[in-house]
Amino acid sequence: MQLTRKKNRNLAGLLGAMTASLLAGGVHAQSDTLATINQDNPTRPEFDSGLDDRDTYTDEGLTRLDSAVLVYQEDGGRVQAIEPVFGVTFNNTDGSALSLQFTADVLTGASPFGATPWKGTQTFVAGIKPGDDGGTGASGSAVVTPGANGLSIVSTDVDPNQLPLASGFNDKRYAVDISYSKPWGKGTTANIGAGGSFETDYTAIYGNIGFSKDMNQKNTTITVSGNFEFDTSKPSIGNPTSFDVMSGDLKNGNRDKTTVGGLIGITQTMNRRWLAQLNYTVTKSDGYQTDPYRIISVVDHITGGPNQYLYESRPESRTRQSIYFGNKISIGDMVTNISVRGYHDNWGIDSLTLKASQHIPLGRSLYIEPGIRYYTQSGADFFRYFLQDNEALPQFASADSRLDSFSAITPSLLIGYKIGRTGEVYARFSHYKPSGKDRQANAPGYLAGRDLFSGATSNSIIVGYSYAFR
Amino acid sequence: MTLSSSLKHTFRAMASPCEVRVETQDPDLIQRVGAVVEAEALRIEKKYSRYRDDNIIARINQATNEPIKVDDETSDLLNYAQQCFELSNGQFDITSGILRRVWRFDGSNKIPSKKEVEQILPLIGWDKLTWSAPYLTLRPGMEVDLGGVGKEYAVDRALMAMQRLTDQPALVNFGGDLRATGSRSDGSAWKIGLLSVDIKNKNEAMLALHNGALATSGDAERYLLKDGIRYSHILDPRTGWPVKNPPRSVTVSAPTCMEAGVLSTMAMLQGERAERFLKKEHLRAWCIR
Repeated sequence: MQLTRKKNRNLAGLLGAMTASLLAGGVHAQSDTLATINQDNPTRPEFDSGLDDRDTYTDEGLTRLDSAVLVYQEDGGRVQAIEPVFGVTFNNTDGSALSLQFTADVLTGASPFGATPWKGTQTFVAGIKPGDDGGTGASGSAVVTPGANGLSIVSTDVDPNQLPLASGFNDKRYAVDISYSKPWGKGTTANIGAGGSFETDYTAIYGNIGFSKDMNQKNTTITVSGNFEFDTSKPSIGNPTSFDVMSGDLKNGNRDKTTVGGLIGITQTMNRRWLAQLNYTVTKSDGYQTDPYRIISVVDHITGGPNQYLYESRPESRTRQSIYFGNKISIGDMVTNISVRGYHDNWGIDSLTLKASQHIPLGRSLYIEPGIRYYTQSGADFFRYFLQDNEALPQFASADSRLDSFSAITPSLLIGYKIGRTGEVYARFSHYKPSGKDRQANAPGYLAGRDLFSGATSNSIIVGYSYAFR
Repeated sequence: MTLSSSLKHTFRAMASPCEVRVETQDPDLIQRVGAVVEAEALRIEKKYSRYRDDNIIARINQATNEPIKVDDETSDLLNYAQQCFELSNGQFDITSGILRRVWRFDGSNKIPSKKEVEQILPLIGWDKLTWSAPYLTLRPGMEVDLGGVGKEYAVDRALMAMQRLTDQPALVNFGGDLRATGSRSDGSAWKIGLLSVDIKNKNEAMLALHNGALATSGDAERYLLKDGIRYSHILDPRTGWPVKNPPRSVTVSAPTCMEAGVLSTMAMLQGERAERFLKKEHLRAWCIR
């Protein structure tokens, strides 16, 4: 650690931070806040910085700046994302804190949109409004022709034996989050937060309020919080009616979704070296949860060849519950994080997440933290790779790989370098490898025995810098 | 200091009168708080006093060139001491205590010879020991002494221990190093009499303290006088000689007592430039010359 004094260096500030850190001593609390649901846009791939288990500093009286850039890349030239994040937290000496965070991200590339592959060329159509920067169309050779209502119709040919991908999208998202927490009477902290996430075709506005209460000489903390979110799906050509035939026509107007949720949690200091946390979360979403760009192929029940492409259909209500049990164990300078999360929803998805990481200091400033995450889920009741032309249309169906039954393993490595007592640069690499659990042995013709799982292996790197000053 | 609505508990520790005052009328509460504060003060004194032969400091100082494994708390304190050493460009140094072997501040005129000082300098300097947490290895003859931060650390720790029992405004004061939490119930500040180094002048100033800590480094009556030169007991560990013209006392206000203590010590070590240092660091501080 290099603390040699430079000109104009704020010595008192550095010393204050050092002292706060010394007096914080022992095991640091870990923050498993209410799982953010603002990434619940069905049209976007999920990527996650994986940094939610990081230690929080004791920053009383300090202002902390956090900046990071996440780069996410799927194999096979699919989705790429770049996400810069900038945050600032003002910690007052009375224990209150105000945080602001700005996020931007840009997604480019190509992603599956529900269609099954076929041995012949497939042609997909989509409507775009003049002036839209590309819209979303299938990946292949595109022909644009004028359509009704001032729309243009893009018809795209997808080569034989290829999983059809939607490309040409260039999603930009901006999000702003603000939160404030304040001690509220004896041993109680209240926090309130709000934010919004904005894309041209999707917006989410959300807020939360929570209380935590220290008891048992601060060895036990009970947390209760509630949240609310309002989402609007507003593709430029409208939201399709479920199971309508894919077309370049103008669709319906905006559709909304409302989510309310709550969390109750307990954090317990088991002993000087072991901190455990148990959370129960429930959220209920009502409204439009369908991906307006996603289709499902109706295939010939003998050959497996595509007969029709229909817009997908999802239930309008989803209730999710999860139980999280996290442990932070520190032995000397080593810190072990082990957590398990069980999840259940009324769409029929049950999942289990196991995570472990080991914080290993290498000298005074450098540390590494290898980690591993294992995830497995069952598929949603209405998940289908395709529909067959000899069956009646079900009430709901979606071919979204996130609703499929699959498991995934994610090794990761975090490398950090502490600068002074309050600064840090870090980089985290992770490799996500999902694999589908169902082979379609009974699928018709061409599709029989194929691995139709369309999830993608991806690599992420996040590089960040965090610094606190007085 | 008259505090009508507070109760106090007093005891002796670290060679100082110690007290905790709590804004309460509940004698049971002050008894419990007093017990916790006293226990924490005595625990830290026992653990870090250099006058004992049964603690971690004794084990470190008695070891000859062998690594001593220290516990987590000591490790945190040693890390802190290292950072203070680096921040102060070597002026704040927990290995400087052995200068006492040649400098005895008894008001006499016995100042050591240059040679005596030079002989002891190779044994002083944090950069001469090997610290690789949790192992500390001293060169033969070196010693560490956490006395420079021990009392302030005890104030902060005792206050934290006390806060587990009550949220009432309170003042922890160990021999003039003190920390307050919260304004008093009538909204007024804790009033602290700043004791002058001159015995004639009883209260030099009254300070109002709502929240935070005060620590004082002082020259007090400890000095040597030779040929009309007053040698202060503030020794610069880099030279082994007293700092020239330090203030007679520096009191610094900071959020925690440790910060206040380290800053007041650093200010003293600036000698003539103490006031300039305090001003540059934008500290609330009081210097007495």
